[in-house]
Amino acid sequence: MNPVIDYHALAPEIVLSVTIILCLLVDLFIPDRPRLVPQLASLGVLAAIIPVLTLAVSGTDVSMFGGAFVVDNYALAFDGLFLVVAYITLLVSFDEIADGDYYGGEYYVLLLTSVLGMVMMASSRDLVSIFIALETISIPTFVLAGWRKHDTKSNEAAIKYFLIGVLSSAVMLYGMSLIFGFANGTKLSVISEYSAGSPPALFAVAIFLTIVGFAFKVSAVPFHFWAPDTYEGAPLPVTAFLSVASKAAGFVALLTIIRFGFFNSSDSWQPLIWVLAAASMTFGNLAALRQTNIVRMLAYSSIAQGGFILVPLAVAGDVSGPSAWEAVLVYLMIYAAMNLGAFAVVMAVSRRTHSTEISSFAGLGRVDSVNAVMLSLFMFSLAGIPPLAGWFAKFVIFRAVFDAGTTAAVVLGVIAALNAVVAFFYYSNVVRRMWFDEAPEVVSSPRPASVALTLAIGITVVVVVVVGVYPEVFARLGQLAFASG
Amino acid sequence: MWGQQVVFWLLAIAMGAAAIGVVRSRDVVHSVLFLVVVLAGAAAQYILLAAEFVAWVQVLIYIGAVVVLFLFGVMLTRSPMGHDSNRLDNDQRWAAGVVALLIFGVLTALLVDAFGGQQINFGPELVAQGSPQAIGSDLFRTFIVPFEVVSMLLLAALVGAVVMARKD
Amino acid sequence: MMAAIQITDTYYLVLSAALFSIGAVGVLVRRNVLVMFMSVELMLNAVNLTFVAFAKTLNDTSGQVIVFFTLVVAAAEVAVGLAIIVAIFRRRRGMTADDMRVLQG
Repeated sequence: MNPVIDYHALAPEIVLSVTIILCLLVDLFIPDRPRLVPQLASLGVLAAIIPVLTLAVSGTDVSMFGGAFVVDNYALAFDGLFLVVAYITLLVSFDEIADGDYYGGEYYVLLLTSVLGMVMMASSRDLVSIFIALETISIPTFVLAGWRKHDTKSNEAAIKYFLIGVLSSAVMLYGMSLIFGFANGTKLSVISEYSAGSPPALFAVAIFLTIVGFAFKVSAVPFHFWAPDTYEGAPLPVTAFLSVASKAAGFVALLTIIRFGFFNSSDSWQPLIWVLAAASMTFGNLAALRQTNIVRMLAYSSIAQGGFILVPLAVAGDVSGPSAWEAVLVYLMIYAAMNLGAFAVVMAVSRRTHSTEISSFAGLGRVDSVNAVMLSLFMFSLAGIPPLAGWFAKFVIFRAVFDAGTTAAVVLGVIAALNAVVAFFYYSNVVRRMWFDEAPEVVSSPRPASVALTLAIGITVVVVVVVGVYPEVFARLGQLAFASG
Repeated sequence: MWGQQVVFWLLAIAMGAAAIGVVRSRDVVHSVLFLVVVLAGAAAQYILLAAEFVAWVQVLIYIGAVVVLFLFGVMLTRSPMGHDSNRLDNDQRWAAGVVALLIFGVLTALLVDAFGGQQINFGPELVAQGSPQAIGSDLFRTFIVPFEVVSMLLLAALVGAVVMARKD
Repeated sequence: MMAAIQITDTYYLVLSAALFSIGAVGVLVRRNVLVMFMSVELMLNAVNLTFVAFAKTLNDTSGQVIVFFTLVVAAAEVAVGLAIIVAIFRRRRGMTADDMRVLQG
């Protein structure tokens, strides 16, 4: 009995794999044209979007290997998100990687391998595939975090991220091994059937360990302590990738494993996610208030935003419709656009000022009004102010909370609302400094932002504004992804 | 059956003691050597469980490759070979011991509660199930996608490790 | 009486719980990067032992396939991790692994 393999359904993974190998070969045999590899990498990512679109149009769900690998609307929605985020990350990488004393070709190979893991993650429906996908995402990023080899901060970013990464995999795997022992299988459908019965106390411990492993990956408080240092030490494009793509992949893993596997034993995971969500929002925001470096501020703010994404998961067991799942997808899409945009502007500005301190953004409104307007838009969107996309992200979260309607859900909703107010202060502080403070003397030589970086800012700002005004675009995507359960 | 009991307990005690050695030893090289004992013990336990293929993979990858890499790591970073600095805090040590016993106690109680008395049916079927043939057919029928992706991961890890470790 | 002398899967599960706890404490207490990393390897071995024990009890080969995968991934992790450590020590020559303080704040 040989397995049935649908190559159309596997096409995104295959295209990415071929691109990775081509990048490696081109880098090896045509070393005198350094621009070729990045061009090839972005073409490959765009090419991988094509099968995602054709699969979405064809509309039939594909389930392979006894349900271990499924390509349905849910998987395709996240595939699309990951590939678009990967493309924008490539756009913001071109300048930084070409200017620094970096290894160019290898950077793109590692980045694309990480993206390959993400695309696989979206379709994975068993523990082995989820584990392998998660490691394929993580291991290349350990190296990327330390890509500035000659900088002590980058070294420490890498080693810290690495140790936390392997520790969290070990904890997660121990949980998975116990779950395997209980459910007598690795497929999420089997686990779901098992958890519908009345499992013993150890099953709750196994779920706890597995989710703690994921909590490290999505840097939820109290498993967040690696994130600020790693984000600050890594090269800026890698930080953008870690805080958006890699984080989103962690949430997709969490969403998949809860929705298809643990859903029936919601007593075990709901309280844990509740605590993680409340702690991440509160601690992330309070720490972000004190930061003087914009990258560290964005790091803590992304911890807080992660807390918001956990809110619908924490109430998912009490929501009858798919609104909690939809909220996660919609929030992730909007968060990806606004956070990537914010990082792209920070990169564009720091090419001129060579600094990421918030003080170096003072008076930007007069020096470089276009970038100042852009950064203001992204900051207000992150704060959730209409009519920018961020408000809709917050809206879907609160809608899920109301749909749940339990006391725990309402309390969490109140905590989220208070945190949204706190977040407004530090986001608006950056805007205030840009428009109302005097600019410091800049002595260094400016490096102009390239077309690619401008394009990245352009794409993200269009998404933030258009989705803010017409949120039906993403709302419809969310409905399609979770239609028919 | 008594023979199996004796071998299990000998291996288990050696593994436990060596694991404590890995964590407690002041000398990094000793830690690596203790690690070898744990890894070899695990391989022997796999043999005892009739998991032949996994046992040999454990020997080849862990003892053959990982330990050698660790020794290279110790050598290249010139970690202290003697007995200085590298010690635990005393107050931390007791707290750590208590934490370890606590985790162990809770896990053991829950494990015995959940899985206590589950029998392993040792027989020809169990030996066949641990053979490379059985694992290979499962690997290439059910887990072919993870298998292919893991090969890309190894390629990336290789490239990344070379970039990181090379001198320039 | 047979039950008393027959090895059950609990033996292996408890042994692996012991290895896992020892490894976890090692990661939390030790400050030497290499020893922390070795403690993680202890935890991974505990995981593998659990998987094999369950694979045998449940007579399900996939438990052993997972062990194969974790072994491969662990090898990749070790290669990457030691490369990072070597890069750090090349940069800051003369310091020992004990001077590398991570996970502190």
